[in-house]
Amino acid sequence: MRIRDIDKENLVIENAIDQIVRDGFQGFSMNKLAKACSISVATLYIYYKDKDDLIQKIGGKIALKFFTGTVKDFSPDMTFEEGLWRQWENRANFTMKYPKEVAFFEIIKHSPHSEAILDSIKEFSDFRAIMKRFIDNGLENKELIPMTFEAFWSIAYGPLYTLLNFHTEGKSMGGKPFVLTIEIMREAFEATIKALKP
Amino acid sequence: MKIMETDLQKIHIFKTNIDKIYPDCSINTTLDNHLDIQQWSVDCEDCDRVLRVVSDTLNPDGIISLINSLGHECQELL
Repeated sequence: MRIRDIDKENLVIENAIDQIVRDGFQGFSMNKLAKACSISVATLYIYYKDKDDLIQKIGGKIALKFFTGTVKDFSPDMTFEEGLWRQWENRANFTMKYPKEVAFFEIIKHSPHSEAILDSIKEFSDFRAIMKRFIDNGLENKELIPMTFEAFWSIAYGPLYTLLNFHTEGKSMGGKPFVLTIEIMREAFEATIKALKP
Repeated sequence: MKIMETDLQKIHIFKTNIDKIYPDCSINTTLDNHLDIQQWSVDCEDCDRVLRVVSDTLNPDGIISLINSLGHECQELL
């Protein structure tokens, strides 16, 4: 009798993330994964029909966790400044709490899997709708200058992700040791808001 | 695919030597049209060429004979 074992499933997910972050898609195989988890190849195939299926299912789980984390305590009806800061905090918390998941997500983001993953998450359209409302409110309330979406995104989140990358690597330009503090984050945020306000 | 809803007892896993699946190959036409097979896939990228079959009624031996009759090796993975 086969029983669904959540602990085993989590072990599989954890090891798969480790292997893909370390070896990339090419170096990753179902056989290696089964070995690392001390389970039979057959058990692995009970849950996933192949490597792509596994990558997409795990990617979907992480993406959902990320979107849920990003909108935690956030409302599109917040003032633009308050809402964007909450987004910064939520995104920073997620990156610091789940560095491996973020690294995994970075790998799949640029792969053909990403579309299949986003299509599989029904919550993703809710997330997009929330973000759209937030930006529309900001424009309507004259808290935000109108600009191309990509230009907006790069200014609104680019500084944060640059700081988070420095933090994850533990060093900034020229190898200077770096730890992100709330003060530094706030400093970058103030400048970001200034750039986005009319 | 809703794996959560699939009864785990109905999933059968085999090691095969099916190295390629194309639209009109015998594996594809036979398994696709088999009334007792709800779902099937072959991971041709894996060294074990793992065949995965979801069926309410077929047992492993029945699936092995079917794959053998199509000219392929097939052995249950446990």
